[in-house]
Amino acid sequence: MSGPRRRRRGTPDRGLALLAALALGLYLVFLVLPLLLSLRSSFTNENPLRATNDFIGLRNYTEMAGDDQLRASLKVTLLLAFGVTVAANALGVGFAILLNRTSLSYRVMRTVAFLPQVLSGVIVGFVWQTILTQNGVLNTALMTVGILDEPYPWLGSPNAALLCIGVVVAWVLSGFTTVVYLAALQSIPLELHDMASLDGVRGSQRFRTVTWPMIAPGTTISVTISLITVLKLYDVIAVLTAGGPANSTQSTALYIVKLAFTSDRVGYASAVAMLLLALSALVALTVTGALRRREVSL
Amino acid sequence: MIRKPLLAACVAGLLALTAACSGGGGAGGEGDETALTYLVFETPSLTAKFWDDSIAAAQAEVPGAKINKIVAPSTDRDAYAKQLQQSGQFPDLLQSITPANFVGAGLLKPYDKTWIDANFLLPSANTLKGEVYIPPTNSQIVPQVYYNKELFTKAGITAPPKNWAEFLDACAKLKAAGTTPIELGGADPFAASMPLVGIISADILGKNRNWLQDRHADKVKFADADVVTAVRKYRTLVGNGYFDKGALGVKYADSITRFTGGKSAMYPMGSWFLGSVPRENADNFGSFPWPTDDGSVVVPFVGGGSMAISAKARDTALAEKFGQAWSLNPANLKALIETDGAFPMIKGKTLDDYGVTVTQVFEDSYAYVTEQNNKVNAIGWATNDDALPPGLNDAFYSSAQALFTSDDVAGELKKLDDAWKTATQ
Repeated sequence: MSGPRRRRRGTPDRGLALLAALALGLYLVFLVLPLLLSLRSSFTNENPLRATNDFIGLRNYTEMAGDDQLRASLKVTLLLAFGVTVAANALGVGFAILLNRTSLSYRVMRTVAFLPQVLSGVIVGFVWQTILTQNGVLNTALMTVGILDEPYPWLGSPNAALLCIGVVVAWVLSGFTTVVYLAALQSIPLELHDMASLDGVRGSQRFRTVTWPMIAPGTTISVTISLITVLKLYDVIAVLTAGGPANSTQSTALYIVKLAFTSDRVGYASAVAMLLLALSALVALTVTGALRRREVSL
Repeated sequence: MIRKPLLAACVAGLLALTAACSGGGGAGGEGDETALTYLVFETPSLTAKFWDDSIAAAQAEVPGAKINKIVAPSTDRDAYAKQLQQSGQFPDLLQSITPANFVGAGLLKPYDKTWIDANFLLPSANTLKGEVYIPPTNSQIVPQVYYNKELFTKAGITAPPKNWAEFLDACAKLKAAGTTPIELGGADPFAASMPLVGIISADILGKNRNWLQDRHADKVKFADADVVTAVRKYRTLVGNGYFDKGALGVKYADSITRFTGGKSAMYPMGSWFLGSVPRENADNFGSFPWPTDDGSVVVPFVGGGSMAISAKARDTALAEKFGQAWSLNPANLKALIETDGAFPMIKGKTLDDYGVTVTQVFEDSYAYVTEQNNKVNAIGWATNDDALPPGLNDAFYSSAQALFTSDDVAGELKKLDDAWKTATQ
């Protein structure tokens, strides 16, 4: 009797071990291995169109210090990351409060609010291009109602183009942040709101003292994921402006791809990718740490 | 009992599918055919149908070749070819790439020189380090200035400008008449660079046709005073408001429709624009070379052509035969002449031999190719020894966009020198 029982106990363990091994294997092959290969490449002058490549030590990393394009791309990336994170989360909280009802119409509106998150970045880029281009929908509408006399270069002026990308990405991310904040709002016990009502706490005061502290875990998740998403932003920019005009909207991720596939500098591109990885990790860890401390203090 | 046959059927199905897939993409193909991959790119003129028809026509002349078409996701076929090379899928045949980007790695096989010499008017137009990797089947002028005759007349301009002073005068008159003098599709970097290509070709290469070779030899720089002076002309055009203020937001495709729709009077563009001239009022359009200070004619010339052959193609001899058949096929040239404004460069053939219907502006432009004049390799477009180092085109385009908003001409040109140094290290 004991034998079969041992087998029954062992079977699920083996099954779990197999699943874990599969997951670990995939993680190693598709994440750790490319990371290590990229790290190795960052110490070389690898060029896919050259017969031989040499180990050059830290030269790629020292070159980064004097790279104006890299500096500009980091500035664009960080500006977008912080601006978009704030905007997308503010929108998310707002939409979530508005949509925190249970009727059918609100469920439909929730789906609509989540829609931008479902669309591919490439499609989003093309759709907004038709809106923002010189003779696009926005200029046509603004000229029709008499707000503009002539088309405004939304994508042709460096500052406006960056702002437009920020708006588009914030719109996309607002779908995700809305869902996160909706889940957080729905996890608040109704008793808390009832007690607050009995105490005469209403409106903005209730939001500040009850809702905001209770959705803190959702804020941590939403802010961290928003930041990471924008730090590695590529697709929307590639389609909407291709980093132009004159590299004014070039994110670091876009710069890495250009270095590797236009300038053939795979070694240097790998070094920049390592920098972006370290920067993303640093920002994510710092922000997550700060938000977790905030959760405890609230 | 049911599971095992089902499993066996699934495995058999998968194996069959795998075999079918490997058969289609592998060396075997159907019967004795050898499958070759062919990288092409689509534009409003070079449509999917054009490529399918041209492939079918060439295949008919080369028994045993089965062509699998690969379409680049954008017109930047060089970048896509590099991505394919990185992932071990370098195509066997590559249409209109820049050979200088790939020859260093030994990725391309040159064409038989005897065949090149026997068939083309300018056999050395695409010569790179003594070899020809792209048959010079046709040529382009990059850029020419196309103009709207009606808008010129309305502004009181009686003849196209012959020198820089007349060009500025024409711009001023057009602006005064309420017309945007010069169209620019500045949202697409290559299109944004057209005035700069014209200026450098006219003012720098026109005076020293070896300038690009000298730049390769480090004898001259972009930041040299003569180049800075020339490029300041671009700032003069921008500063005087001769482009649309929002030109950097105008896509290349939109710039064509804006110009042909009469929203602007002049359009510096490669001669492929000739394929977009509206047939119904083609006589309303004319062309002139980018003007020089003294009025001398400088023609920024590009020996265009067909496809390069991968040195690692499954069957290089068969690939070369296909490339030769495609390059000499009169139907392909006819389509390229009519839709892409290509100037034919095949020996012993005149325009009439192709049975083409072309516009007067095409014939006027083609005359600059056939006449004896000062032809120089258009900067950024040459596919021969004057080609820019890998990555420099991108830097050049970026400078063109930056100079639309920045007055720091010397600074931007210094950046190009720095980019050149990095690219050639």
